[in-house]
Amino acid sequence: MPPIRDKFTIHSKAVVCQDVELKGDITIGSGTIVHPKATIFAIAGPIVIGMGCIIEEGAIIVNRRKEVMRIGDDNLFEIGCRVECPSVGNFNTISTRARVHHTVRISSFCVIGAGCLLVPTEDEVLEDYTVIYGPAAEKRVWSGRGKVQEADLRRKHAEYLKEMLPKFNRLRRGEGT
Amino acid sequence: MAPSVHYHCPCLSNSTTPPPPHLPSSSYSFHPLHTLFFCEECDAVRCNRCVSVEVSTYYCPNCLFEVPSASVRAEKNRFYLFVHKMPCNVLTRRRCARNCFMCPNCRNTLSVVPSDPPESGDGRLAVPISTVGEPPFFLYCNHCRWDSAEVGITFEKPTGLAAQLQKFEDSAPDSLEFERLKDHFEPFIRASSLSSSTTSHAVAHPSSAAHSHHLHSNSITAAASAALARDIPGVGKYNPLARSTSSRGIGVSGRDRSVNKDEMAEYRSRVEIAKASVVGTGGGDADVEFMRHLENVSEVASLDQRWENSWVTSLQTSDLKPLRIPLHSKRSKRCPACTHILIKPEQKAQSVRYKIKLVAANYLPAITVALPHAQKALTEAAKRTLGKSTSAVEDDKTPATGMVAGKTYPFHLALTNPLYDPIQVRLSPQRLNISTAPSKDGPPEKARRPPFVISLPTSTFPIAAFAEAWEYDDDEDMFGVEEGDDFGIRGGAREKDGRSTRSKTVGVLEKRANVTIVGGEVVIGKEAQGNVKFNTLVSYTYRSDDPAPSESNDGDGPSIPQGNKPPEVKTFAFYTVIDLGPIIPREDSKSVPDV
Ligand SMILES: [Zn+2]
Ligand SMILES: [Zn+2]
Ligand SMILES: [Zn+2]
Ligand SMILES: [Zn+2]
Repeated sequence: MPPIRDKFTIHSKAVVCQDVELKGDITIGSGTIVHPKATIFAIAGPIVIGMGCIIEEGAIIVNRRKEVMRIGDDNLFEIGCRVECPSVGNFNTISTRARVHHTVRISSFCVIGAGCLLVPTEDEVLEDYTVIYGPAAEKRVWSGRGKVQEADLRRKHAEYLKEMLPKFNRLRRGEGT
Repeated sequence: MAPSVHYHCPCLSNSTTPPPPHLPSSSYSFHPLHTLFFCEECDAVRCNRCVSVEVSTYYCPNCLFEVPSASVRAEKNRFYLFVHKMPCNVLTRRRCARNCFMCPNCRNTLSVVPSDPPESGDGRLAVPISTVGEPPFFLYCNHCRWDSAEVGITFEKPTGLAAQLQKFEDSAPDSLEFERLKDHFEPFIRASSLSSSTTSHAVAHPSSAAHSHHLHSNSITAAASAALARDIPGVGKYNPLARSTSSRGIGVSGRDRSVNKDEMAEYRSRVEIAKASVVGTGGGDADVEFMRHLENVSEVASLDQRWENSWVTSLQTSDLKPLRIPLHSKRSKRCPACTHILIKPEQKAQSVRYKIKLVAANYLPAITVALPHAQKALTEAAKRTLGKSTSAVEDDKTPATGMVAGKTYPFHLALTNPLYDPIQVRLSPQRLNISTAPSKDGPPEKARRPPFVISLPTSTFPIAAFAEAWEYDDDEDMFGVEEGDDFGIRGGAREKDGRSTRSKTVGVLEKRANVTIVGGEVVIGKEAQGNVKFNTLVSYTYRSDDPAPSESNDGDGPSIPQGNKPPEVKTFAFYTVIDLGPIIPREDSKSVPDV
């Protein structure tokens, strides 16, 4: 495997803390927040993260495939989660210490519950509004009721972090800025 | 399983000596130290089997609202008297009557949320700034995202949900049946409370008032169960007579039942079970029909989602209703002998403190047991797993930590003194070959050799006083400092049956803060089986603040008469059972040459 070439493209309105581990070809969109101690590894192919995502401490995002790993907008990656999905839609929540394998593609409005382990051997797509929860990683479909209020809360959460994080952390800038 | 030490409560027998460890009754007589209480009045250990329990408050674990016991009892508790021995458990459930509900899907607490504003309809999710939700409100699970609107339950306002749900609950078949039962028994309760006041039952049976009350409630229970158990199709005929004749007072209860039979009309249930073949009422054909057209397993509610209900409920996930949160209770416990309170929590639901707390751990030395060879094997295995990362190591871990028949193993007992004064401790293992069996079983019992022999230091040894500061010492190297300690030699030398080689193994190994570690040894017989499990009497002397009592012990605690000690010194003794774990039988090939 050729050595990984680092190339970070960080939108000027994104907040990426200095103390994060980035490797490979990474693009971070406007308004996305990356907390300190988060890890984003574009090992094989590039990672493109959309707008308004929140990536918390200790979260690990890995792309093991050659293709671009696309993460949509307004996703929340909670503390210590690990995501290797080739694609993630919008408004998803990956809860604390949840782990999602590279065989899973996540659509939109999905929730992976705290500590859930999702490692199917066959490729799988989580349809919109899929909820994975509980110790046995049970699956159900959310009615979607309350999603507007939740999205509103997600936006406010990001707004707050955008204001507060730079007060206590040095920020990383993309190349060229 | 890790080796364990349990403490004896003598409440189950008249003797203060515990049953032999290999009998099944042993496990009922011994308890972990942290579950035991200590009555200062009686100078005795008390366990959860013998204390009497009173509820001081009921509270909701979610909103911490305290529910006065009176209102818990008011509605349903009178009936509870009848049914508390029957399997209709939901009738006795106490649940939060405020806004607390559990998710029927995952048992998480539900929250009340407003509905989203109507969508603009242009595909892309419109997220207005500062969304204000609007009615209708619904119950929502943050964990699995179940919501009550899925099953058609919504609310006009976010308060008083319990009252809004009441109409659903009141029309549920179990509530209706409950009301019917209550109506049925009401005249009988009234009649029986009258008759008990005229003491007709007490006269019939010459005993104390308390006893007659007991008999009386027995007869009520018998009558109620007779009525409830009448002819359920498909269920074997229940015969209350067969059951109650085994209990004491055959004549009396038999007589009472005949009286009750005359007084009570036959109970007819609201719904004939055999005809109840409608979806949602546990009907046979309707459910079969539903299952036949099943497309997805998730349409069927799982058993654990349904078994909380006492009534047969619908099989369908779409029929799951929000559950009320069961109340918790705070309980006080009393000594069975002197009725002094042993433990009493603070009344407030928010408080986790106790007004009175007489726990045995504050009086008796805490004893933990460890097998050095097993600990060594475990740490080595841990090191190896750190080094490599395969599971191959786990396979050979078990033999190294176990005890093999025909071998000798050292063990450590760590005794911790909870008192502010030093104590002197003596350990006396109970001999296994003492014939506790009745005489006819005597000969074979004696002929058999004991499966193992225990050596422990027989002399007394000190444990220093507890001091708060010692709590902050790190006790990482508590074990494994036994080598080259002069205490060991001294302890071994005093051994009565001291075989000289044991000097380093048996005896006091270490004294640190308020912890003393003594070493023991077990010699396991070649043909031994089962667990290395033995009773040990632990007696300790301590400085007493009270004037010395007259040692006329009436058998509550196994106190030992003191010798020529100064009068302010007292002795307390208690039994423990020490379980070092199972013996691994020797392989046949090995044992053959020895025999
Ligand atoms: Zn007891
Ligand atoms: Zn409540
Ligand atoms: Zn739930
Ligand atoms: Zn007492």
